[in-house]
Amino acid sequence: MTPMTPEELEKFIHRELRGLPVRRAPRSLESRVRAALEHQAMIPWYHKSWSYWPAAIRATFLALATGISGAFVTGFYLMFNGVDTSALAAQAGARLSFVTRLYHAVAWVVDLGANQISAIPALWLYGGAALIAALYATFFGLSAAAYRTLYRNN
Amino acid sequence: MTPPLDFTTFMHNYQDMVYSTAVRLIGNETQAEDISQEVFIKAHEHFENLRSSPSAGGWLKTVATNLSINHIQRYKKRWSFFSDLVHRDNEGGEKEVEFAAPDTFFSAVDSSERREWLERALEKLPEHQRVPLVLYHFEDLPYEDIARKTRVSLSKVKTDILRGREALAKILVRSGSTHEQFEN
Repeated sequence: MTPMTPEELEKFIHRELRGLPVRRAPRSLESRVRAALEHQAMIPWYHKSWSYWPAAIRATFLALATGISGAFVTGFYLMFNGVDTSALAAQAGARLSFVTRLYHAVAWVVDLGANQISAIPALWLYGGAALIAALYATFFGLSAAAYRTLYRNN
Repeated sequence: MTPPLDFTTFMHNYQDMVYSTAVRLIGNETQAEDISQEVFIKAHEHFENLRSSPSAGGWLKTVATNLSINHIQRYKKRWSFFSDLVHRDNEGGEKEVEFAAPDTFFSAVDSSERREWLERALEKLPEHQRVPLVLYHFEDLPYEDIARKTRVSLSKVKTDILRGREALAKILVRSGSTHEQFEN
């Protein structure tokens, strides 16, 4: 037996290993990848990591986060520097007055609806409710009967 | 090569290469399939860039190699520790190996059997030898890169590769000696 030097062994093993053909991937690999991709596509963006979020959402999130952080930092800075917070609150209130107007508009619509309903006689209200319930029961019964006769028997 | 039209064609072109890389590093077919799946899911995320890139094959091979090494290191961190204990006294010393001359190994064995033996012999190697051996001989990585990737010392990489070659040769001789044709 002729002994091999490490160099000879390296050359021999290298030649043998490089002579190996590529291993065939299992047939199931393609279907597995496709299933995994389909599953991934079904997951909504908000359940995925940041990099999967839509660009618009990411931009909005960044803008909001920056705005809120900036507001907090500015607020703390002003507080610690002895700025008149009541004047600041009044200024902010003036700028956010549209929120108050929106609230009044919604309250007016709700009041109007309540007034209109209170003007309707109670008998009409109960009658209407009974009619709706009867219609609901009728359609429910019809649907159940149709399901039993047309779908379930097939 | 013309750029693949869709992801299925892309997969067909590269799946054997990706699977081969993973299975030779990991030494387990089921885990190699899992790694291959992960590689193609990553490829799908970058498909717009990869579909027309001439370096797509290299990208896939690198990802398959890195994921396989991560997988091995994640689940079997102990191998480097035990390997260090076993080989510490062997480091540095290069000596002649008592094996038959290369040509007598497979002289009477046909090539398909020979490949089968080699693949099985490679799978039988312990991880601390198989991983650097595969990176060196299949991926053409230099010792320094292998040491960096596997997070072991350069001298240990060299020793592991040398011992891996020896072990591979031993397994091959043992397989051959029990083989009917080899006895002729």
